[in-house]
Amino acid sequence: MTNIYHSKPAQWAVYLVFFAALGVIPLFIDDAFLLNQFSTYGVYGMLALSLALCWGFGGILNLGQGIAFGLAAYGMAMTMQMQAQDPENDPIPPFMLNNSLDHLPWFWEPFWNTGLGIFLALLVPTLFYIAFGSIMFRSRVSGPFFAIMTLAMLSAWYTLILDIQPYTNGVNGITPPRALQVFGFEIDPYSSTSYWVVYTALLLCTIGAKLLTQSKFGLIVQAVRCDAERVRFLGYNVAFYETVIYTLSGLIASIAGCLWVVLVQYVSPAQMDVTFSISMVIWAGIGGRLSLIGAIIGAFLIQGAQSYLGDEFLNTWLLILGGFFIIVVRFLPKGLAGLLEIVLGRIGGSPRSKSPDAVADGKLVAAGE
Amino acid sequence: MWASFDPSSFANALILGISIGSIWLIAALGLTIIYGTAGVINMAHGEFIMLGAYSSYMLQSYFGLPFLLCIPASFVIVGVIGLILERGLIRYLYKRPLDTLLATWGVSLVLMQGVRLIFGSDPKYIAVPEVFQSNIQLGFFNLSTFRVVVFFITIALVVGIWALFYRSRFGMQVRAVMQNNEMATSFGINSDRVYMMTFAIGAGLAGVAGSLFGVLNIVLPTMGSAYVVQAFLVVVVGGGSLVGSVAAGGGMGELQSIFAYFTNDTFARFLLFVMIVVFLRFRPQGLFAPAKARR
Repeated sequence: MTNIYHSKPAQWAVYLVFFAALGVIPLFIDDAFLLNQFSTYGVYGMLALSLALCWGFGGILNLGQGIAFGLAAYGMAMTMQMQAQDPENDPIPPFMLNNSLDHLPWFWEPFWNTGLGIFLALLVPTLFYIAFGSIMFRSRVSGPFFAIMTLAMLSAWYTLILDIQPYTNGVNGITPPRALQVFGFEIDPYSSTSYWVVYTALLLCTIGAKLLTQSKFGLIVQAVRCDAERVRFLGYNVAFYETVIYTLSGLIASIAGCLWVVLVQYVSPAQMDVTFSISMVIWAGIGGRLSLIGAIIGAFLIQGAQSYLGDEFLNTWLLILGGFFIIVVRFLPKGLAGLLEIVLGRIGGSPRSKSPDAVADGKLVAAGE
Repeated sequence: MWASFDPSSFANALILGISIGSIWLIAALGLTIIYGTAGVINMAHGEFIMLGAYSSYMLQSYFGLPFLLCIPASFVIVGVIGLILERGLIRYLYKRPLDTLLATWGVSLVLMQGVRLIFGSDPKYIAVPEVFQSNIQLGFFNLSTFRVVVFFITIALVVGIWALFYRSRFGMQVRAVMQNNEMATSFGINSDRVYMMTFAIGAGLAGVAGSLFGVLNIVLPTMGSAYVVQAFLVVVVGGGSLVGSVAAGGGMGELQSIFAYFTNDTFARFLLFVMIVVFLRFRPQGLFAPAKARR
């Protein structure tokens, strides 16, 4: 059965149209506040993308993506905070003084250097993902158990950051007073500059992820999702593939975390809250976890709806979101993108032999389930 | 950060550890049964606990039911809610464990928000008889009476569950279905009904836990999320069997209390979680995994 949904050229065309549409948005919007909000949607889109990669393609449900996002966000906030400090006269951030620290903690020192700070913001979560992933996957913890462990780890980080208040400002979080300066150039969060930064990051991550899923590596990762045992018998190191895809998705979430702080100039333990990490899963789940672009659109739709339905509707919103999510999981495991797949399949031509392209993009699921 | 060592307060910490363990265990009992039998990861378990607390609160403040009667009543109410959920949703998802996890997360969102709409976000309190409000003082050892009550209720429930699952006809059917569903069905066991009943009992146990936690802490729509992660860890570390959960709950509670004695509560939790990750590296099946079907 040929389905245009599985045609690679058609998929790339959709990506082209999608990013072209996102590219013209700043031309039509003068409102700086609105543009900033759209940029944050881009960050949410990256998070949904990272989950689609790890959960949709790798079959690894990660309920703790907030770890990468939050750690990177803290790294970025620390970098931006230190940019506002003066090494000579005013070396200690105000909140530390309020918590009666008289010297800068050692792990804050590297953040004097902006480049090193941003590098660490990406490196620390990545190293954590490699360590945690390899421990878990090598002992063959998978499926729901892995999901629970990521949840536990998230909650551990959350309590830790909350606990070491003198170093992280506890529940209040860090609010860097100035926008990020890179090479003497300021990235004003309320400008089209920041929009383009997020746009570029989202574009590169999406293309990278898309190419990855179409590569041999991506094929093996999908095979692991369908039947890890069989892949193991074929001689592949399953734990390695799982760790890599898990870490890559964490890296995308870390980039998103950095950008998020650039946009909102704020970070608090709330970014490592369980609810936020699960919202990412809901975006990817409703949009379609087997479609990268579907997941991104899912994030846009849900966050957009949440912002525009107004405050008085907010209470019932969670009720509706929960109900909608149940329905999607129960009847539409592949999300809205799956619905599109079905519709296009109905419209599409006569039953024929399976096209080889289809295997690379989600067709394997049908075999796996 | 390191407090000076004092034998009598350390002994107190050990006793507190038993109490913490019993609290985590009672939170995890329902989950253990549901996971152990049907393999369902019920993310709405925390919200079942919350519903238990709210049903006790409601029965007490609107109908004036004495607290001790609220506990079994919560069991029934939350059990019925669990039954409805199982019939309406869970039974379609038994073959898709990850999707069950997600769907029950959706359920937890709905329940939490539903309760918030009905009862509001402000904290509620459950009153207990005068006797339970005091502290027990024996030499250096000091513990609130209610925590002792929770401890004994936990023991009673564990014994009750053990008797139900290992000494009754129903329990034999449950274990048969657990080991080999098809074979059990062909011997005339209605496995659909077994799953339904275990889910309802598991939910009911969460209701009991909730009515007790509502006294230990305040009653809030979000209270469930505070317990659900710990409860899951007890089940994961224990391996999904009853004896495993008892061992894991006790051990984890004790470790938490000892770490907390040397550092503080939150850092102790962080340490414990990291230890669990390392533990699972060496024993991914948990302490006592239930017997698998022999082929």
